[in-house]
Formats: sequence, C-alpha cells, structure tokens
Amino acid sequence: MSAPFYKLGAFGDEASLVVAFLIGIGFGFFLERAGFGSAKKLVSQFYLTDLAVFKVMFTAIVTAMLGVTYLSWAGFLDLSLVYLVPTYWIAQVVGGLLLGVGFVVGGYCPGTSIAATATGKLDGLLFVLGFAAGTLGFALAFPLVKGLYTAGAIGTKTLPQVLGIPYGILVFGVVLMAVSGFVGASWVEKKMAAKAAPATE
Amino acid sequence: MRWISKLSFNQKLGALALALGSLAVFANVAPGHTVTVDAREILTGVERQEDHVTPGELAAWIIEGRTDYRLVDIRDEKAFAEYHVPTAENVPLATVADGALGRTERIVLYGDGGIHAAQAWMVLKGRGYTHVYTLREGLDAWKDEVLFPAVPQNPTPEQQARFERSVQVAKFFGGQPRAAAAPGSVPMALPTQVAAPAVAPPTLPAGAGGGPKKKREGC
Repeated sequence: MSAPFYKLGAFGDEASLVVAFLIGIGFGFFLERAGFGSAKKLVSQFYLTDLAVFKVMFTAIVTAMLGVTYLSWAGFLDLSLVYLVPTYWIAQVVGGLLLGVGFVVGGYCPGTSIAATATGKLDGLLFVLGFAAGTLGFALAFPLVKGLYTAGAIGTKTLPQVLGIPYGILVFGVVLMAVSGFVGASWVEKKMAAKAAPATE
Repeated sequence: MRWISKLSFNQKLGALALALGSLAVFANVAPGHTVTVDAREILTGVERQEDHVTPGELAAWIIEGRTDYRLVDIRDEKAFAEYHVPTAENVPLATVADGALGRTERIVLYGDGGIHAAQAWMVLKGRGYTHVYTLREGLDAWKDEVLFPAVPQNPTPEQQARFERSVQVAKFFGGQPRAAAAPGSVPMALPTQVAAPAVAPPTLPAGAGGGPKKKREGC
C-alpha cells in the first residue's frame, strides 16, 4: 500500500470527506488536550511565560517531517504526488502578520478558536463569529485586494529547491533548529518564572 | 548508558529526533536521476500503439474542449513562442521530470518530430508516470495532417468526405489545405497564435467523448 492514498485512487471524493472529518476531530482533540482551548494559555507565549504553543507546533512539524522522510525513503509515500501550496511570498508575509496581530488581540488562531468554542468558551465563539465576518468581508472586498492576493507569486517551491541543498540536510537542519528551540524556550520560561516570582511575593 | 536513564521523557524524544534527523542526511529521499523501466510492459504498450495519440485525435480533443489531459510542448521557449499547438504548455525537454507534471495526470508530449517526445516519454514512464502519451510524429505530423491537409489525387467519395472534414479542422486551427505534390515540406506560413479561433468548431464524428473534468486542489 502506497501513499498518498487519495491521489493514488485508494478512496474517492466522498470517502475523502470522511477521512478529513476524522483527521479534523483528532486535530481538535489534541489541540484541546494540549491546553490550546484556553486563550490564557495561548497568549502566554507572547509574554514568554509559557512557550507550550511553540513547543507543541514545532514538535508536530518535526514529527510529521521525519515521518514523511522515512515513509518516502521506505517507498510507502510518493513525495512528488503530495500537494504543495504555491508560494505568494508578499501575500503570505502580509497574511502572516495579520494572523499574528489577530492572535495577540483575540487570543486564538482559527483552529484553536473552534476547539475553544466546542468546549463552551464564549470568547472562542466570539472569535469564530469574528473570523466568519472577516472571511465574508474579504470575499466581498476581493476585487479591491485581488492584486495583493497573488503578490509575490513564485510558483510551488520547496526549501531544498530554493536553498539548493539536499533534502536530508534540510531535515537535519530543521530538527537541529527545533531541539535548540526547545532548549532555548525552556530556558526563557525559567528566566521569566524567576522574574515573576519576586513580584508575586 | 546510565546517562540515558537520567534524561527526562522529553529529552529522550528530542534525542531520538536528533538521531533520526542525522540519519536522514544519508537517506536518499528526493527522486534520483536513475530510471527503472519494466521493459516488457513498455515494449508491449508501444507494440499495441498505446503510447501515442494521432494528430487527428488531438485535434478532436482540442475542438471538444477536453480538459482531462495536459498538452506539453517539450521544445525550447523560443520555438514555443513562434508556434505551438493551441492549449499546449511549455515544459522544455530537460525539465520534464522535474515535477511540473503530475504522475497520475494524462500527459501528451510533443516536439518537432517524434524522437525527443518518445525519449521524454521513456524517462517519465521509468519514473512511474502512468498516463503519458506522445503526439505521433510530433509537430511535423500536426502540420501535415491537421494544419495543411493534402488534397487527395483522384479521391474516392470516402477520401473526399474525409478531406472535406479535415479542411474544416484545418481552418479551425488557422491552417488551409495544400496541393498533394510535396508531402513533408510545408510551404505555408504557420498561423499566428490566436486566443479564440475565428471559425466555428467543425462537427466531429461521434465516438470520442470527453473525459472527466480535471479536479482542482486546494488546502
């Protein structure tokens, strides 16, 4: 059996919706279990007091990357069939900054706001209504922002292509970044806790 | 070995990730430059003429507006700019296996003659592309058979009918019939690329139905 299953015709459109639903349930469940259904937990990363979001997300990235690497190496996954989102770097930089501002102000990102709503949090629900309104506003204003939407189009690019390095070296580099990031994050958390401790006494 | 037991669970996971990451440096993951072909399977396909489409078939697909295949011009950009078969996209020969084409897509390759496309076809087959075809005899045949069909000499009624149909097709693509004298040498000027053909699409014989619409992906 070889992956990606959908591309290789292991299941059709209808079944793919069921698969997406199950994966979505799993994603939401683990977001909530990691504590990401709480805006307090999420925004504490911006105050550097709790970097769990950074650690969880980077752990997920490294786990997925190593999984994909070794599945592909063992012949179970055809990397050339995996869909890559095209790069529109200007649009993506602007969109990333907007998402960051929304995250700091609203206390959630889209996925975590839905997980929070599912656990009955009103701020989560308000956030979901906000991003639904934002999506509608974007759709209506699309003719005005069309130019930005495709700004910086450079096609589908992967880091090994852009940097001109072998895939394996990139994998190692990302793992190294993640592990040093975890060590650094724990150090920062300890520092901030020590700083906060006298103030609470 | 005692130091391992002193590590926390998270530190052990971190060490495991580092170990797997280091090994990944030596894992050959990206598609390599070698090609493995199943000789019997490929040659049987060629023998059964399953490896190509004819210019007439391709012309019918274009007129029908079929979207379930990709027409790929493997010549260089300059040649592509001068003339290409309508709806074709340019993927120069050296780059056909670099990922611009999907392995499960239906792909029709063409060059000036038939050889370069056949060589690209072989490489793609070896890479596991499942639905690759070449345009038989390439652009040369496209010009001879579709753009500038030859007027038959002393035609039978059947030949005459076929010729009249091919004149309609030629006009659709901006070409015109030519005298039968010199097959192979095309004296006519190639049509300039037009976005929409001025002539109404000719009616085609039944049988060549359109395939399923290509699905767009999103995230």
